[in-house]
Amino acid sequence: MIKQRKDNIFAFFFILPVFAVYTCFLILPMISSAFYSLNEWNGVADKIFIGMGNYKTLIASSDYWITFWNTLKLVIVTLAVQISLGLLIAYLLYNKMKGLKIFRTIYFLPVVIAPVAIGLMFSLFYNSEIGIFNRLLEAVGLDSWNKNWLSDQGVLLGAVIAPQAWQYIGMYITIFIAALQSVPEELVESAQIDGANNRQRFFHIIVPQMGYFIEISMILCVTGALKSFDHSWIMTNGGPGVRSAYLGVYMYKTAFVNSDFGLGSAISVTIVSLALIFTLVLKAITGRINKE
Amino acid sequence: MRKKIIGIVCTAALIMGLFSGCASGSNNGGTKEAISSTDMAGEDTAASSEKVTIRFATNWGPGDAKYDYFYPLFEKYAEENKDKVEIKLETLSTEDYKTKIRTETASGNLPDVFTWWGGSMIIDMVDAGLLLNVDDYFTMTDKTSKENFDSSAFGYYTLTDGTYGFPLESTRPVFIANKALFDEYGLSYPKTYEELKEVSKVFNENGIIPIAMASKNGTPSEFFFSELHSQFKGAEEELVNMGTTRNFATDNALKTAEAITDMINQGMFPEDTVANGDWGPCLQLYCDGKAAMTYTYPWMFESMTDDAQEFSECIPVPKLDGATNDPSTFVSGFTVYGAVVNKASFEDPAKQQALVDFIDFLTSDDLTLALTQSGMIPAKQVEYDMDDMKPIFKKMIEFCEGKELTSVHYTTMPDLEALNMLDASLDELFIQAITPEEFLDKVQAELDK
Repeated sequence: MIKQRKDNIFAFFFILPVFAVYTCFLILPMISSAFYSLNEWNGVADKIFIGMGNYKTLIASSDYWITFWNTLKLVIVTLAVQISLGLLIAYLLYNKMKGLKIFRTIYFLPVVIAPVAIGLMFSLFYNSEIGIFNRLLEAVGLDSWNKNWLSDQGVLLGAVIAPQAWQYIGMYITIFIAALQSVPEELVESAQIDGANNRQRFFHIIVPQMGYFIEISMILCVTGALKSFDHSWIMTNGGPGVRSAYLGVYMYKTAFVNSDFGLGSAISVTIVSLALIFTLVLKAITGRINKE
Repeated sequence: MRKKIIGIVCTAALIMGLFSGCASGSNNGGTKEAISSTDMAGEDTAASSEKVTIRFATNWGPGDAKYDYFYPLFEKYAEENKDKVEIKLETLSTEDYKTKIRTETASGNLPDVFTWWGGSMIIDMVDAGLLLNVDDYFTMTDKTSKENFDSSAFGYYTLTDGTYGFPLESTRPVFIANKALFDEYGLSYPKTYEELKEVSKVFNENGIIPIAMASKNGTPSEFFFSELHSQFKGAEEELVNMGTTRNFATDNALKTAEAITDMINQGMFPEDTVANGDWGPCLQLYCDGKAAMTYTYPWMFESMTDDAQEFSECIPVPKLDGATNDPSTFVSGFTVYGAVVNKASFEDPAKQQALVDFIDFLTSDDLTLALTQSGMIPAKQVEYDMDDMKPIFKKMIEFCEGKELTSVHYTTMPDLEALNMLDASLDELFIQAITPEEFLDKVQAELDK
């Protein structure tokens, strides 16, 4: 009994630093933001309590809904591109073990480059006067595909999403290679002996074994997309207007450019809420699949 | 037992580390460069009874056109006064700098002195009583007086009940043309919109962009918009009175927006107006000979190649159809930047004299003259030697001589959100995502809030 209590105290001291860090830098700021979101506050004058006023403003704001849908599109694209391509490339690399480490490093390289640098690089690539994208298209005879990538409403959002979707594929490749290496070889071999082909082994043996890894990757992917900022900000400042802005950029513009910290806090609360909802939904879906 | 002791020691070390981390976290995290390694002013004052610490924040950091001219003099001043005062220099690039100051305003941690814009950018700070009325400084200094500045220089920092900033930089735009390109194609500088259309046609046929003008976050389009707007009858009154009328959506603004739309349709600007937006990319197109004309400001002179300064000629913006004011008789001119002082710091007896001395330095002739070499037009009246100036600066001064000065939306817009909406909507107008009428409505709606 005494030993148990001593162990608990000991465990408490180990948990304390993490608990304190999370409380100071995550929980308390979140509570503060929730409080600010109920106030009209320009960051200078006294706060005026307006209840749900900021949320009503957001609901009525067309800019908010544009950025909301932009963010949702980003979530869908990154999920589709990063998870599926990450899984596919990881599986291909895993099956062709020669040079695995080199390829893993090459694919991981963009992940360690600052998003700001990637954004800047792509904004130069996209430039219709000096960029290489249009020149490359011309070189392969696809002149008709030339676009003003950042000034054409039809392709603007896609052009801003693309670098972000591409940059982090490597991270999921690395996660999935690790996951693949944890799949028991006996399972795969027995399926092979039973006559399962490559596709069947992948979908019926390997993917179910990687369920938790895929779940975590999807959560990382969704939360990463919800807090996106750098690529959009560097390439277009979220513009023209808010046409290429995500919720994170809109929050920044509202709070720090327009000095409306109350409304900015309300946007950040909606981002956190969305992240929670997505996480819960994903956990529920993957939980059910894993059980089955 | 030994393992437990080690564990406890490690845990204690972690906790100590955590709390020391929290403590240092209260410092200004945005500082890029500091001339000393000491921490907050109050702590310093306690450590040495005589010496005070002043925090000076500016966007004139490494990479800024003024840095090379500002920093040596600043360093000299800090060295000469190191026994009395320690000056912490905090620099960031312009956009990050704006965020830093807004965050520090919200957290009650404003620097003691910082360079800042006037107009709508100081209204909230003045309302909250955060900024010093400059008259309080002028009563305490014998080094300078308001009369040493251009008569209109303080207007940008003047609100109804006082003046809250020291104007340092005045400015004039230049509409410049590449003489070599005009000569090559046997063209004359366009004086009217019709002539501009003809010239543009020739340049477009030869793969040259007629005017390097684009719009990213309203840059540089917002200033060009104001320049064109000034050509219409009553435009100046509209701008000057905007603080009281809060009326942006006028016939003149509509004519200007329509003119810009037509210029886009005529192919006068780069096709990709976002990727080529901002001061740098526009000027780059011009300096590289990819564009025949551009519209820029002196703060970009430092980035102009020697060749470009030589082949450039300042010309009036062509007169738009329906314009009544002759563009060759006026030019935009306004105070664009200066310094403000934290009122609470100034009222601190321990810091007051040090702050007066430091503002003496910021407004000194020596620093003003040094900054002038970066292309800055001084807001203070100083005699500078034209031989020290860049060729493009000389051409600009010569061109602006005797011209009437007009206002711009940047300094007269009464509301920060409306100014930001003007910038954002101009980006949309430039990609033709909205019509001129929708553009006006968006900005006006922000003013009507």
